[in-house]
Amino acid sequence: MSNTVYIGYQFKVAPLQPGTEILIAELGYAGFESFVETEEGVTAYIQKDEWNAAILEDIQILDSDEFEISFTFEDIEQTNWNEEWEKNFNPIIVDDVCSVRAPFHEKPDTKYDIIIEPKMSFGTGHHETTHMMIQHILKNDFEGKSVLDMGSGTGVLAILAEMKGAKPIDAIDYDNWCYVNSLENVERNSCEHITVLEGDASLLIDQKYDIIIANINRNILLNDLGVYVKCMNPNGSMFLSGFYVEDIPAIEEECNKHGLTFVERLEKNKWVALKFVN
Amino acid sequence: MESYATKILKMAKELSKVVKLQVRGGAANPSPPVGPALGAAGVNIMEFCKQFNARTQDKPGKVLPVVISVFKDKSFDFVIKTPPAAVQLLEAAKVKKGSGEPNRKKVAKVTWDQIKAIAEDKMQDLNAFTSEKAMDMVAGTARSMGISVTGKKPN
Repeated sequence: MSNTVYIGYQFKVAPLQPGTEILIAELGYAGFESFVETEEGVTAYIQKDEWNAAILEDIQILDSDEFEISFTFEDIEQTNWNEEWEKNFNPIIVDDVCSVRAPFHEKPDTKYDIIIEPKMSFGTGHHETTHMMIQHILKNDFEGKSVLDMGSGTGVLAILAEMKGAKPIDAIDYDNWCYVNSLENVERNSCEHITVLEGDASLLIDQKYDIIIANINRNILLNDLGVYVKCMNPNGSMFLSGFYVEDIPAIEEECNKHGLTFVERLEKNKWVALKFVN
Repeated sequence: MESYATKILKMAKELSKVVKLQVRGGAANPSPPVGPALGAAGVNIMEFCKQFNARTQDKPGKVLPVVISVFKDKSFDFVIKTPPAAVQLLEAAKVKKGSGEPNRKKVAKVTWDQIKAIAEDKMQDLNAFTSEKAMDMVAGTARSMGISVTGKKPN
């Protein structure tokens, strides 16, 4: 997804309103994905895969006498937009035993020292959900367990699982940047039991795992939970995060439907990380 | 004189820039425009995407305006607004586009009651002081799109 090249259209619109608003509404239906409002109008973005030369032909407001609209457009290569933040973020230490840091940070005195270069992937320990998932992993027995990390991002959770003795481990992410980044971080931490795969729940066919970890979001979890559960060994555990306290009833209901039992909840700033067993 | 701590606190919340985006619910990713708009300001884009997507799970795929305040300490805060009046008008009229000749060629109809519902929903964002003014603004947008308004204007 995020590896795709985008096309950006810069529109000048007069009068600005409601011209810009109508233009955005029509572009949205034509497949444009996102918009930035500017002083003169709007910049609209579309994925190159969705684009064709006639994409603006059906945008009616461009023909309207009421508005004067001009535009230019350009290809936009995907680069690491998050570089500015990534070049000097602070290391994170969870429960005094697990650190997540960049290669440029000094080595801390922790039992589990994870080195991550995130390159626009999620999972540096700064976010509440990553923090709590690390806490879950620290508290549970991973020795010799097979593990699936869905939505692996930087691969941080899979790496910690290996440091805690888990094997083998599959780490899956649908985003190409995350897939590549997980591979890089797995190597950076000298992990030997992690297989990184690019894709989604459709990659799960007849694999079986003792433990499944998924820090994604409510809708994807609700959609894919049944597939995950089919991949669980008896006496297995599942750790879910990426949603808020208010989403718990929906998640719990879906888990119960698939025969899982709620065990433990961690909560931080309204974000939660839940443990279920089968 | 203000204390050092107060100074730091003030600095921490000093506004650096305001970014107005429209992104599909549940689908923010670090690509443009989120990436370049927030990345250059030193914001952790991944953090924004995770929060935005979690907060918009109930409106997947809907184009939602979001106003992001970026502070000098690289922290951020954002407000998600309801879909723009033009988007709501297309939805209410069940069409995907307006008219290229809004005065001569009408492409759809909405009722005044529908205009009223949209106006009330957008009242805060429209800077309209009265609901009547808000209704007029939404009806004006409808006319500019070639959507005619039917029925009797409610009070």
